Amino acid sequence: MQVIITTIHSKPTIRTLNNQECIKTQTAGGYPSSDYSNQNNLWNEGNYASYSSHQYPNYTPSDSNGAHNSSAVAATPLHYQQNYKQWADYYSQIDVSCAPGTENMSVSSATTLACPIPGVSAGYPTPNNQPPPPGTTSWRPESGSSELPSFQAGAVVGNTQDGYWKHGTSVFQNHHATPTPYFQKPLDSNPLPYDDRQDQQKTACPPGPNVQYSTTHQVPQKYQSPMQAVPSLDARRVSKLQIPTNPRIASNLALGLPRTDKDSSTTNAAAKPAYISISMPKHNNKVPSNEVADSVLKPGMFPTSLRAYVERALARCKDDSQKAACQNIMKEMITKASADGTLFTRDWDTEPLFPLPNMDAVNKDSIQSSTIAPSLPKFKRSPSRRTKSRWEPVPEEKPVEKLASVNYVAMKDVNWDKFKEKDGTISSGKCESKENNWSGVKFLPQQQTPSKSSPRPVKKQRLSDNSNLAENGGTSSDSDKEQSLTAYYSSAIALADSPEERKRRENRSKRFEKVHGHRAETKNLRTKDVGAGNLYTRRLTALERGKNYEDSGNRAVEDIDWDALTVKGTCQEIEKRYLRLTSAPDLATVRPEEVLEKALLMVQSSQKNYLYKCDQLKSIRQDLTVQRIRNELTVKVYETHARLALEAGDLPEYNQCQSQLKTLYAEGIKGCHMEFSAYNLLCVIMHSNNNRDLLSSMARLSREAKEHEAVRHALAVRAAVTSGNYVSFFRLYKTAPNLNTCLMDLYVEKMRFEAVRCMSRSYRPSLPLAFIAQVLGFPSVLSTTEGGNEKDTDGLEECEEWLRAHGACLTVDNNGEMQFDTKASTSSLYIPEPEDAVAHGDANLAVNDFLTRTS
Amino acid sequence: MAYLSMGEAHRRIADYLSRFSEAVLSQDGSSLKPLLSVSSNSPILFSLADALNVFQDANRLIKQSDRYSQLAEILVPLFRCLQNYRIEHLVDAYTAFEKAANAFLQEFRNWESAWAMEAMYVIAYEIRVLAERGKGSKRVGALYVTCQLFKVYFKLGTVHLCRSVIRSIETARIFDFEEFPVRDKVTYMYYTGRLEVFNENFIAADQKLTYALTHCDPQREANIRLILKYLVPVKLSLGILPKRRLLEKYNLVEYNNVVQALRRGDLRLLRHALQEHEDRFLRSGVYLVLEKLELQVYQRLVKKIYIIQKQKDPSKAHQVKLEVIVKALKWLEMNMDVDEVECIMAILIYKNLVKGYFAHKSKVVVLSKQDPFPKLNGKPVNS
Repeated sequence: MQVIITTIHSKPTIRTLNNQECIKTQTAGGYPSSDYSNQNNLWNEGNYASYSSHQYPNYTPSDSNGAHNSSAVAATPLHYQQNYKQWADYYSQIDVSCAPGTENMSVSSATTLACPIPGVSAGYPTPNNQPPPPGTTSWRPESGSSELPSFQAGAVVGNTQDGYWKHGTSVFQNHHATPTPYFQKPLDSNPLPYDDRQDQQKTACPPGPNVQYSTTHQVPQKYQSPMQAVPSLDARRVSKLQIPTNPRIASNLALGLPRTDKDSSTTNAAAKPAYISISMPKHNNKVPSNEVADSVLKPGMFPTSLRAYVERALARCKDDSQKAACQNIMKEMITKASADGTLFTRDWDTEPLFPLPNMDAVNKDSIQSSTIAPSLPKFKRSPSRRTKSRWEPVPEEKPVEKLASVNYVAMKDVNWDKFKEKDGTISSGKCESKENNWSGVKFLPQQQTPSKSSPRPVKKQRLSDNSNLAENGGTSSDSDKEQSLTAYYSSAIALADSPEERKRRENRSKRFEKVHGHRAETKNLRTKDVGAGNLYTRRLTALERGKNYEDSGNRAVEDIDWDALTVKGTCQEIEKRYLRLTSAPDLATVRPEEVLEKALLMVQSSQKNYLYKCDQLKSIRQDLTVQRIRNELTVKVYETHARLALEAGDLPEYNQCQSQLKTLYAEGIKGCHMEFSAYNLLCVIMHSNNNRDLLSSMARLSREAKEHEAVRHALAVRAAVTSGNYVSFFRLYKTAPNLNTCLMDLYVEKMRFEAVRCMSRSYRPSLPLAFIAQVLGFPSVLSTTEGGNEKDTDGLEECEEWLRAHGACLTVDNNGEMQFDTKASTSSLYIPEPEDAVAHGDANLAVNDFLTRTS
Repeated sequence: MAYLSMGEAHRRIADYLSRFSEAVLSQDGSSLKPLLSVSSNSPILFSLADALNVFQDANRLIKQSDRYSQLAEILVPLFRCLQNYRIEHLVDAYTAFEKAANAFLQEFRNWESAWAMEAMYVIAYEIRVLAERGKGSKRVGALYVTCQLFKVYFKLGTVHLCRSVIRSIETARIFDFEEFPVRDKVTYMYYTGRLEVFNENFIAADQKLTYALTHCDPQREANIRLILKYLVPVKLSLGILPKRRLLEKYNLVEYNNVVQALRRGDLRLLRHALQEHEDRFLRSGVYLVLEKLELQVYQRLVKKIYIIQKQKDPSKAHQVKLEVIVKALKWLEMNMDVDEVECIMAILIYKNLVKGYFAHKSKVVVLSKQDPFPKLNGKPVNS
């Protein structure tokens, strides 16, 4: 029997885990069934219960030892198929370049032929898992081979997400073609696996041959760095779990594999969980260290605060040798304390921790002595590195136990079990594997995992040059930082364990559950529908990651590496209808930037009506948005759309564009900023009678802006409107640059009516209609001299019609000229009901009318 | 209360401090919230209060660390408030909290973003609750809170939010406005007066700002200046011009030329004055108000022409030819053509700044024989 420990990052999960005192396993591809069932239990009980039940309704939690449920297995295949399709597309389109060193990874991941994975994935659906960063970097060429180890480790630890499996799927196909290579692959690092592999291959579902180390992880720790030395594991806990406490690699394999086989055969021969055993060199130390702590401080014999102190001290250690050194130091301390009688009087809670012994040499030694794969040279930790477990929220039970957080997991090399169920039936023997070549894939694996446990951002990983990438989430973590912070930490230690502190952390995490959790949950549901591993999943992961950061208190959502999530479409069609997205965009239907450029040109030169153009532009905008393209093309698209919308009088659409443009310009992207500043100003004047808005819009204009023709015009219009100067207004109307007229149009009616009212009061006895028509901008009056009579009368007629419609009294004077009888009109003017009024208040919604106007 | 060790007390206090400063540093408003909710009876704050009562030297803890000492102005009174609150000394708790709130507000103004809005709300709420509990001082709290909210809203440019606060003050019957402390009444009137300026309700603005001015401590020249900054334009809109001495005394010289332009009917001077101080007027929000004074300047100009004509030939004085006005404007370097000036004359008549009518055919403004240029006398321009 092996001990398998899963790292779980989400705090809620951790709590649950603690309560149950469960220990999880982290294996890369294949999970022992028992782990899965455990996890399911957790999920069902945890906050995410709804989610997990949703996704795997058939799955009933089994006890910690339980074999995985066959029903769960049944559920998975479907899942896979969906996924597979999607990913197949991806893979075919993405050219994959392996970063040096990645080969290792791929090999290992490709190894598993085992079908059992379905069960695994079933166990894993929850997004709450926080696997350490699964080889984020490994997918990115830049990361370099050096970081690989850690990635692998990460992947092993946490990554059991659906997205993961998808990878697996595609991988499998290839593998089928070349089944052999995978055995030959650099498994050399793990000597153990081979035997096992062969054993397993004999079975119906040969599990992956990978040997990795398995690590025990105590729940409180959010994060495990793969190489992290393992602090003490509480023996009691272990025994409760009925898991052997000494999960040596060798023993793991020996014990674990057979068992798995058995399990799978009982449940479903075809669907045996893929199994990956992980070699864990440092493992044995854990238990001992705890024992040491126990022996040094038998409960009851010493104050609990001292015990807590010892555990804190041990928790800092990264590996066993360090721990041993610490133990020695502490033994001396305690002996001394009991000798001088301060053992019970000293305040151990506030006692500063002694400095960690410098373990450089020790580390090296330990690494060498361990089974670490040669390919993972970068495993050295910085000397002062310490685990952060103590900063994590701790379950409420007994403080002492909580303190004894343990983490571990050092892992060197991970072999992934990949599999795919081609025909969707569990028993299908068609699993194909292929060499894993996702190293060049743009999408990071963890992005595809919906799990909460998603790793730290790539950025962060790069920062730390060792394998301790997985941070404990809580407090910081770079090793260099650490040293400088040591002083602070030691003083803060006392606080860290106080009930308030714990509560506070809980509250904090709860807070985020409210915010993110909900979203995450819904997203997860959707994810399931669409098929895990798709974009949603990745987004979700990003969100989740953001959550983790916030949880940890160190990072903000902004730290999410959105760039890493950015996609690029592959559609080459220039024309595309707009359809509001209700699910993740399908990259096959998203046009890349070059195509969008052509599409914009096409729309600009199109002779079709506004509705068509609007539709096209909206689809262009959508494609830009989903690909996060924000550059001059984006500005151009929005400007084009805004202008067209203005021309068509489609203000809602215009407003959308304007608000986007505002932020785009604010980002410093070039465009016709001034033109749109003018529009914006006109909009404020025309649409709201809000002096404050107007003032702030004006105050925001720069001096240069005020010099700009369009803006100057808009400001003049503003002055004319506020003073009611209709002459000036209609002159400006005629000289308006760009599309300023379109916005002024909106004010013409109001302006004219106000003007006529003013005239009726101030002129006596009458006013020639021709003058009114001229002053109030009725068309073609300007051309009185050069234009024909025909035209003149046009303007006059329109003016007359308008005046009559507004209740003006008109007379004809001796010369036959139409006159506006001011006195009589004083009391008769009114604003008529607009002819095109519609019941719902927005004429734009009257489709027929709109069509006629815009076509 | 169970016995609390010094160590534990120390730890609780240090924990609170670190959470507080971390929330501020990370601009995490929602983490800050629970730390300020004195009246929430939360276990965290209770246990902190207990710790404070055990560990008497909390202030030293605050001052020891740079991180905390920056926030000492807030933290020290806040601790005192918590202690007092725990032992039911509500009046003392209120007084201490008010101090903390003031310090917080001070900080709040310095913060770039409005991240602490939530915390601000909590503070406002706590002030009210504590004031209510501390006997009889409910009213004190209410207006104080309102005023603080005004400050925040104006600072943030979210003036529209003021409306709901005002409503609660104006509609609540339990309040008798005159019972509030003068300090708060003046602040309240000042802000509501400014709101009325935005809305161009000049009469209401005049009343409120005048109230603020007359009740303001005469020693507080800066406050008087603030009030006058808005009251002067309001009064100008109502046709009431200030003495030059007043403007100079309170350093409101930016209004000098505006007033001068009104006296002289000098459109050019008005426009120059507006241009010169455009940024300042835009920011304080009086630009549009001052711009509207143009009509009064035109009125003054026509009146001057009328007076001159009257001196020359009283019988024809009530007919002002349009071309004369155009010429006068030309002298002022205002190049406006006949149509435009005609429009302005029409507007003057329409707005009742000039009594009479315009004869389009002959292009003449015919003035009423009685009071052709009615004074505003405290009434706003126009109907």
